[in-house]
Amino acid sequence: MAEVTLPSLGESVTEGIITQWFKKVGDAVARDEALFEVSTDKVDSEMPAPASGVLVKILAAEGDTVQTGAVVCIIDESGTPSTAPDASTATPAATPAATTAPVAKALTATGAAGVVVSPVVRRILADGGVEASTVSGTGPGGAITRRDAERAVAMGPTESIVRPLSNGQRRMGAHMSVAAQSIPHGYVAIEIDASIFDAVAAAGGETSDGYAITPEVLVTLAGVRALSEFEHLNAYFLDDELVLQRTVNVGVARHVADDGMLIPVVHAAAGLTLRSLARRVVELDERLDTRQLTTDDLMGGTFSVAGAPSDTTLLSVPILIQPQVAVLSIGAVRQVPVVDASGETPVVRVGRRVVIGLSFDHRVCDAVGAAQYLERVGELLSGLDIASER
Amino acid sequence: MANEIQKFDVVVIGGGPGGYAAALYAAAAGLNVALVERDKVGGTCLHRGCVPAKEFLETAHVRRTLEHAGAFGITAGPVSVDFAVSQARKTDIVDKLHKGVSGLLKGRKVTIFEGTGRLDANQTVTILDGADAGVVAQGTNVIIAAGSVPRTLPGFDVDGTIVLTSDEFLGLSHLPTTAAVIGGGAIGCEFASMLSDMGTKVTILEGLPSILAGCDTEVATVVQRAFKKRGIDIVTDAKITGHKPSKTGTTITLDGADDVTVDMVVVSVGRRPRTEGLLGEGTGVEINERGFVVADGYMRTANPNVFAVGDVVAGTPQLAHVGFAEAVVAVKTILGEDVVPVDYDRVPWAIYSNPEVAFCGLTEAAAKERGYDVVVKKDPFGGNSRAQIIGETDGVVKIIAEKRADGTAGQILGVHMAGPWVTEQLGAGYYAVNWEATAEEAAALIQPHPSLSETFGETLLALAGRGIHVG
Repeated sequence: MAEVTLPSLGESVTEGIITQWFKKVGDAVARDEALFEVSTDKVDSEMPAPASGVLVKILAAEGDTVQTGAVVCIIDESGTPSTAPDASTATPAATPAATTAPVAKALTATGAAGVVVSPVVRRILADGGVEASTVSGTGPGGAITRRDAERAVAMGPTESIVRPLSNGQRRMGAHMSVAAQSIPHGYVAIEIDASIFDAVAAAGGETSDGYAITPEVLVTLAGVRALSEFEHLNAYFLDDELVLQRTVNVGVARHVADDGMLIPVVHAAAGLTLRSLARRVVELDERLDTRQLTTDDLMGGTFSVAGAPSDTTLLSVPILIQPQVAVLSIGAVRQVPVVDASGETPVVRVGRRVVIGLSFDHRVCDAVGAAQYLERVGELLSGLDIASER
Repeated sequence: MANEIQKFDVVVIGGGPGGYAAALYAAAAGLNVALVERDKVGGTCLHRGCVPAKEFLETAHVRRTLEHAGAFGITAGPVSVDFAVSQARKTDIVDKLHKGVSGLLKGRKVTIFEGTGRLDANQTVTILDGADAGVVAQGTNVIIAAGSVPRTLPGFDVDGTIVLTSDEFLGLSHLPTTAAVIGGGAIGCEFASMLSDMGTKVTILEGLPSILAGCDTEVATVVQRAFKKRGIDIVTDAKITGHKPSKTGTTITLDGADDVTVDMVVVSVGRRPRTEGLLGEGTGVEINERGFVVADGYMRTANPNVFAVGDVVAGTPQLAHVGFAEAVVAVKTILGEDVVPVDYDRVPWAIYSNPEVAFCGLTEAAAKERGYDVVVKKDPFGGNSRAQIIGETDGVVKIIAEKRADGTAGQILGVHMAGPWVTEQLGAGYYAVNWEATAEEAAALIQPHPSLSETFGETLLALAGRGIHVG
């Protein structure tokens, strides 16, 4: 028997909420297969099974808050999956109704909301642009009668539908609203030469060990290197004080479909080569895709980068990640006409440009300082020797 | 063994339409079901009600057809009736259907306990008599479907030869020359119609001002007129004071009307719930002052694990098909599935007299009572080509719709029919009422020609503002 405990979810995180079990009692489980999902105030993570076998007991129901280290389920490593659960074979937690088919669940005194019995009623609601779920019916069991439907349509199409936020959206919203309200944001953007990306493309677009060199990775590399000359931007603003951070832990903003955004962190990024930075970002993205990000992956950021949210984005204006004081934003790398004044007569040719911007905390930085930093990032970017760094 | 409690997901008390439907539907959902029946599965409907009565009414129909065969140029000779043959045919049909239901229950592995069930505390059901006397079955849930029995009249002791209820009447092997039917409701009118068509001289004694009191007045009038045309005497507002039996029959005495002397009296004054002895101690089930089990729209009694369906339920129509529907509601509720309660205002009603009656939804009077302004249209079957072809033109279709602010007909509230095969025609009207269609919406749909259903279609067109044949 293997007792499965809730693993450490990161420093300073002592508990999590079990939000979903992917397996039920009696199911076969393979090692590293997703077993359950746990939610903390940072992230929802899928927890892999530490051993193969049969899930014989679940000790924490969905919705339960569990301390890290507590046993959440038991896997019988010698077990065989049961098709018809049998109380005698090591299934102490087999569901009580296991011997027969479904038995009464809790009843509601009134019927389900939005019950449509008549196709005529359904059509009236559809024509009127009214969602059935927003109409309270007066018929038997709360069924929506023709009268109810006509009354609802007369009041106009449904203007609002309450859609509950996902955990991720809620976490994003909570953080952003605090940051937006408490930090005086400033913003500067500059356009810089991006012909370096021709060199990246010439090198196959990836590092020598096969990791993608994206504009985000390249600008982040330059941005992190520039921070050594602008240490007040790699800092926290805490209790009216600027607290400079010795380590550069750079967060990279990530969109999570229907679940807000996350900012996984590349820790100790200051000395990284292009190769190692590219690899670290890819690793974070893999953990994001498989929902394996831990709280540690999301903590400790000292500076953040927001990559281009689309291929045609000119610039974006991110909100700061408290208590950080700056976010570097990157637009899409675009092919544009550029004026080449190097010759005797200026000529227009096809070139590459990218807009980079800095959201900054106006309590510790101003537009001039931000622009100086951005210019320095541009210089470092242009000066990268792709051939040797990749 | 007798004291060992057998456990089931659902124990159903009573194997009539409500009970066997509940058992089959629950078993189909995978539940472990027991059914307690003290007589035969199929219940009143199959053995002593709807089904046998309809067989006799069909016998009457065949006789009527033969009598009118001359109009088609067909000579059938003098028509005679051997009612015992019809009785045997009925028994045959009932037996086949009984085997069918028994087979279905067996096929779904429903455990049948033979005997009378009594519900005790904790959803246990004790079998009091019969082959399984002493068995105690416990259900996670229990469904009471104990049904009903004919009501009797004080002073009219049922002897099976002179005074009968539907139970005895449907076992007759010969028909009387004269008969009185006490009670002009659905059952009474079916018996009166059948007897009359078979040659018996019939008198209906009805205590209310009209026969078929629950039906729309105009529909009831069509039946009353047709009955009178066929020589059925109808005494309304009848105040029966008693009867004086003789060797060959009896004389019923009435206050304010002439005595009625007949060979046989059929008492059809409604049905009472069969709940005497049904409940032991501590069941938590509520019975009202008239003996019916009180249940909510989801068929739950005051005990949330005990349900009731069918005739035994207070305040609901005593119709087999309503019992079926209630059984589905009860089982789905037990399963925790979403379900809409039966809308008792809109169940289909069918009376198989000649002419037939079928209706659904509100009568004109009931609609007005509920505060609706109404638009009403009706079309008699007289002009219907198919009705003329089959030679049955007595009848009418009447549709009641809510009147809109501009005076036009809106939502259809009730569809009422009397006439040939209307019990088979009601379907379209049932959908119109229950799907809450307006007159235009329903009128836009086509009825085949030539068919009896065109009368319904024509009435809808008229209701929508402009008829082809009807104004």
